[in-house]
Amino acid sequence: MQMTIKTVMGVFAAGALALGLASAAMAASSPAEAIQARQACMKANGKMMKAMVPVIKGQAAYDKAAIDAAIASAEAACAGWGEWWGEDTKPGGAVETEALEAVWTDKAGFEAAGAAYVKAMGGVKASADEASFKAAFPDLGKSCQICHEKFRKAED
Amino acid sequence: MAALALVLALGAAAAWVLSAPRPISPAALPQHTPDLANGELLYHAAGCLSCHKPSAELSGVDANLPAGGAPLKTPVGTFYPKNLTPDRETGIGAWTDADFVNAVQRGISRSGEHLIPALPYTSYAHMKVEDVLDIRAYLASLPAVISPDRAAELPASLLMRRGIGLWKWVGLDTSPWTPDPTQTASWNRGAYLVNGPGHCAECHTPRTALMALDTSRAFAGGPHPEGTGKVPSLRGLIERGRYTDAKDIASALQYGEMMGYEKISSGGMGQVQRNISQLPEADIQAIGEYLASLTP
Repeated sequence: MQMTIKTVMGVFAAGALALGLASAAMAASSPAEAIQARQACMKANGKMMKAMVPVIKGQAAYDKAAIDAAIASAEAACAGWGEWWGEDTKPGGAVETEALEAVWTDKAGFEAAGAAYVKAMGGVKASADEASFKAAFPDLGKSCQICHEKFRKAED
Repeated sequence: MAALALVLALGAAAAWVLSAPRPISPAALPQHTPDLANGELLYHAAGCLSCHKPSAELSGVDANLPAGGAPLKTPVGTFYPKNLTPDRETGIGAWTDADFVNAVQRGISRSGEHLIPALPYTSYAHMKVEDVLDIRAYLASLPAVISPDRAAELPASLLMRRGIGLWKWVGLDTSPWTPDPTQTASWNRGAYLVNGPGHCAECHTPRTALMALDTSRAFAGGPHPEGTGKVPSLRGLIERGRYTDAKDIASALQYGEMMGYEKISSGGMGQVQRNISQLPEADIQAIGEYLASLTP
C-alpha cells in the first residue's frame, strides 16, 4: 500500500504505544535485558551512594534536593526489580551475571535483603534535615553490604 | 650402582636432617602476664575466625567462635582448621604456651609435624611473642566447643610436610619486626599490624619460583591463595588514584561497602575488611598511614 503520512504516523503511534505499554509493564523480554536492567539499577544506586557518602564524611554540604534527586533516579532505574530474576538469568546461563546461585536457592534470604534495603531507603527518604539523614544513612550502606555479601559474586 | 645408591641414601639423610622441625623451646618464652584486651584486638587483626570459623556441621555453635572444621580449599589440598576453643580433647585447652607459639609462629604442630603455610605463620612469625601469648590467653577465655580434628586432604602428606621443612629455609623468615625510627609511632603501628598479625603480604606480595614471599616487591600484588586470579597491588594506591589519602584507605577498611567502597567487601577481602573494622579507629588509621606510604 502507499505510504502516506497518515500511515507512517499510524505505524509510529502504534509502535510508540507498544513500547510505552512494554516499558510501563517493565517486562524485560530477554535474559540480556533483565540482566542489563538490574545492572543499571545497581549503577544508579552507586551514583546515589556517591551523592550521599561525601555528606556523611563531612566533605560535601548537605543538599536535600540533590540527595532526593539521586534517590529518585535510583528508584526509577530499579522500578522493575521483581521482573528481572527469571530462571533464564541465572549465572552460568547465556548472559554473564555477577549474581550468585544463592539468589535462587535462598529466595527468602534474597527477598529479606531486598526488604532491608527498601526499609533503609524509606528511612533516608523520610529524613528532613542533615542530622536525621546522617542517622538514617548507616542502615542503607549496611543493606548494600549484606545483600552483596551473600548474593553477588566476590570481586576477587 | 653402589656408589649411586650411597649418594642417594646420603642425600635422603641430609634432606631428612635439614627438613627437621626447629621449634622454639618453652624455656625461650618470656615471663608474661597476658593482656586479654590486647589479645582480643590482635585476634581480630590476625583474622583467625575467617579460617577457624565453625563447620556447618556444628549445630547451635555461635558463628563468632573459632570452633574450626570448615573446609579451607587451597591449590595443595583441603584443610580443616583446628578448633581454637579451650576444649581439652578437641580444642587447644591442653596445649602449652610453647605448643601455641610453635604452631602460630613456626608452623610446627603439637605432634611435631610441619604445618602447611595455609596457616600464615610466615607472617605471624614477625609478631612479638608477648602478643601471640595474649591471643592465646584471649582464646582460652572463650567458651569451649566440642569440634573434633579432621585430617587435611593432602596428597603425599608425609613427603609434603617434610618438604615444607626444607622450604622453610627459604620461605620462613623468623626475624621479628622492628620499628623504623625515622617514622611516626602510628606508621610503625600500621607497619606492625600489616606485616605481622594482618598477614596482608600472604595475598598481596608476589611469590618467588619457590613460592616464598618476594619481599623485594612487597605488596605489589600476588596470586590468589585459592588458586585462580590475582590479588591487587597495595603500592601507590594514592599515586594511582585508587584512594585520595591515608584517611580514605582507612575509611575503606573501616566501612567497606557501607560507605560505597568497591572491591573490598566481598570474598576474601570482605572477610579481612570485616575483621579490620573491629579494630580501634586509631589502629585502622595507622594501617591506612602505612599503606599510603607504599610507593608505586
